[in-house]
Amino acid sequence: MIVLEYILLIGLIVCAIAAPLCKRLLAAVIVYMAFSLMMAVLWSLLQSPDLAITEAAVGAGVTSILFFLTLKKVHALKGTHDE
Amino acid sequence: MSKKIDETSGWLQRFAAWVDGDREPPDRTLLVMERRPHRDFRPTEEEFERREKDRLRKFFNWYPIAATVICVVMAAILLTTVMNMPGFGDEDNPINNEVSERYLEHGAEETGSENVVTAMIIGYRGFDTLGESCVLFLAVAAVMILLLRDEKNTTGRELHQLEREEAGAREHADLILQQVAKVLTPFIFLFAIYVLLNGETSPGGGFSGGTILGAGVILFSAAFGVQRTQRFMNRRTYSVVRTFGLMLYAVLYGIYIFIGANGLPNHLAGMILLIDLAVGLVVACTMYGFYALFSRGEI
Amino acid sequence: MLSDIIQNRYAVTAVILFGIGFTNLMLQQNLLRKVIGFNIMDSAIFMLLASLGYIDGGVAPIVGDRGFDPLYINPIPSGLVLTGIVVSVSITAFSLALIQRIYRRYGTIEMRELLDRAKKEDD
Repeated sequence: MIVLEYILLIGLIVCAIAAPLCKRLLAAVIVYMAFSLMMAVLWSLLQSPDLAITEAAVGAGVTSILFFLTLKKVHALKGTHDE
Repeated sequence: MSKKIDETSGWLQRFAAWVDGDREPPDRTLLVMERRPHRDFRPTEEEFERREKDRLRKFFNWYPIAATVICVVMAAILLTTVMNMPGFGDEDNPINNEVSERYLEHGAEETGSENVVTAMIIGYRGFDTLGESCVLFLAVAAVMILLLRDEKNTTGRELHQLEREEAGAREHADLILQQVAKVLTPFIFLFAIYVLLNGETSPGGGFSGGTILGAGVILFSAAFGVQRTQRFMNRRTYSVVRTFGLMLYAVLYGIYIFIGANGLPNHLAGMILLIDLAVGLVVACTMYGFYALFSRGEI
Repeated sequence: MLSDIIQNRYAVTAVILFGIGFTNLMLQQNLLRKVIGFNIMDSAIFMLLASLGYIDGGVAPIVGDRGFDPLYINPIPSGLVLTGIVVSVSITAFSLALIQRIYRRYGTIEMRELLDRAKKEDD
């Protein structure tokens, strides 16, 4: 269990460094999504299942959807029509 | 823009003008300098622009260095502080004091909720959560102010493009998304309702259940389009449900004040459940409202 | 030193994450990346709070029929963080909405271009 903890903590730091360094904004948002998901697992390790449920639904779900929609609105997604 | 607002006009008009930002100070001599100081040297346009650009460039040269220094210094200070904190996971840490002990020992019998986190959020610190729900309510209102479409801020081209996009989405509906959503949506709703209603005995409660419920509605709306979502969630239902949730919470807390504000007693059976439901409705509506406003600009 | 870090691993990680997030918030030119940095800061603070309430060998604070026999973790930080997470979503949504409006008005979300264009319009 302690090994998993270390892997997750290091993974969090790696994701946090990587997320804003990604060249494409879409990749940055997806890495941030992975960050949130790791956070959710970490919270269940910290014995707070309430937080884990909320974070999984909020961080990886709703926040990312909002980011994607904003990306679409500011024309930062490839494959959408730019006029 | 500057309408002449004088003392004689009604307070409503003056208030409206103040909100619009074009109120003129009643006593102008106080706030407006009577005469500008004479300036001998007036830079030409190019000179001015060059100087401004120079200033901006200088700012952008120095800003990263200063920001990095601030960040590093702050991280170092925090790191040294953290090193001196009491050990992680120790039972005798100062944070584990009599408050949490009392919650753990008496929470179940005093509030009727076996999950102490729910008992704390809804029972002991319910006012905190009431303010929280108000914050969510206001957040949706703020996003509405920014993104809601109406005749004033929408051009015909935008409207046209939106219509075209919707038509395109209807024609080329994503088959994978629809099939997956068809299978998953009932289970998501079921799980959301389970989490929402079982906040007393298992992990979950208003916030978790509400977000899952909102995510389920979002998935449904993304897969099957606006029309089918608006069958059960149009603008009117949305605002009614949202306000109803907050009002239910406020009324229940009014009762709570009335009976002494000493924790919700467990002889009012189902109180925690009702408040959880109210919070869940508010949170779910918030999540769906964000999605709808971001994607279409209307609910 | 190393034993200190291992002892307080959650807090140290939280501080590092906070530093990364803050650096992003101040140094990135793109507004969306700034918001991501802000969210990372949020998560770091929540993690510090939640790790403070943890007790070794404790279980989640659901007092069933087990009575007070097993060791429970501290429920207070969990409750505080739970409300904080939901509020952080609303803050994110609000800032993203502001970014959309900025894009609609100025046509860019890069800080430098934005300042240039805003200045040009002022003159």
